[in-house]
Amino acid sequence: MPGSGAAGGEGGAGRRNMGGIKGMADPRGYGIERVAYWLMRLSGLGLLAYFVAHIYETSNILRGRAGWDEMLATTQTTEGHVLLAVVIGMCVFHTANGVRLMLGHGGLGVGRPARPDYPYAPLSQGARHKIGIYSSIVLAAAASMYGLAVMFGEVH
Amino acid sequence: MRESTIMRIHYGTALGAVALVAVHVLFRFTQDFSDSLQYESVIANYQFLPYAGLLEIILVLLSIHGFNGLRVVLLELRQGRAYEKAVSYGCLAAMFAVIAYGSRTIIMASAGTVS
Repeated sequence: MPGSGAAGGEGGAGRRNMGGIKGMADPRGYGIERVAYWLMRLSGLGLLAYFVAHIYETSNILRGRAGWDEMLATTQTTEGHVLLAVVIGMCVFHTANGVRLMLGHGGLGVGRPARPDYPYAPLSQGARHKIGIYSSIVLAAAASMYGLAVMFGEVH
Repeated sequence: MRESTIMRIHYGTALGAVALVAVHVLFRFTQDFSDSLQYESVIANYQFLPYAGLLEIILVLLSIHGFNGLRVVLLELRQGRAYEKAVSYGCLAAMFAVIAYGSRTIIMASAGTVS
């Protein structure tokens, strides 16, 4: 059965890499790096969708005061605020994790090359980058909470 | 264009957008959040030319970064000569459409041609 072979040395966690897109999509068993991979793509797509919606939303200013107020009435709701808090979280995660990736691509924080020894733990996926991923998630959660506090008038 | 050049543009637009979006968000904090979204406040923002210019630059940077990101995600899912061309040109067309639509709002609101 594809994807369930026991041959070692191929794919993460000793699994054969024959699962296709489903195998690539499965975040289990590959550590926080695979989770970050998915969060980066999902947050990117979410932000692109929000960006296009925001361009359309702000174009209502051309309809004059009535059109703008009508648009505000549909977006300035509890659901709208919660959605915006999710967008803030996605934005902060995408930014912080993106900076981590840029540094990694530039060779920063990926460690020195060394002979691959059993259990073949990738040197490029060391503690520094793991801390970077967890920090991005914590920062995103904190920014979302702060955004909610501002939008619901708890913070000015 | 070489993929390495495209990735440099991707990173450059990301860094530029982070700095400018931070200014855009901070503008909301110059007054109470809900007050900053009132009609007069938003029109005043658009008619302040340096801010309108900032919005235009953000629009261009985020459109390039966003649609190139979408292109990369779609090319990871499937490959093939025709598919890759369709995805690349499709993303390019969508990018230009969003820039044109957003620019129209910025230019018309800045010029005061609001109904």
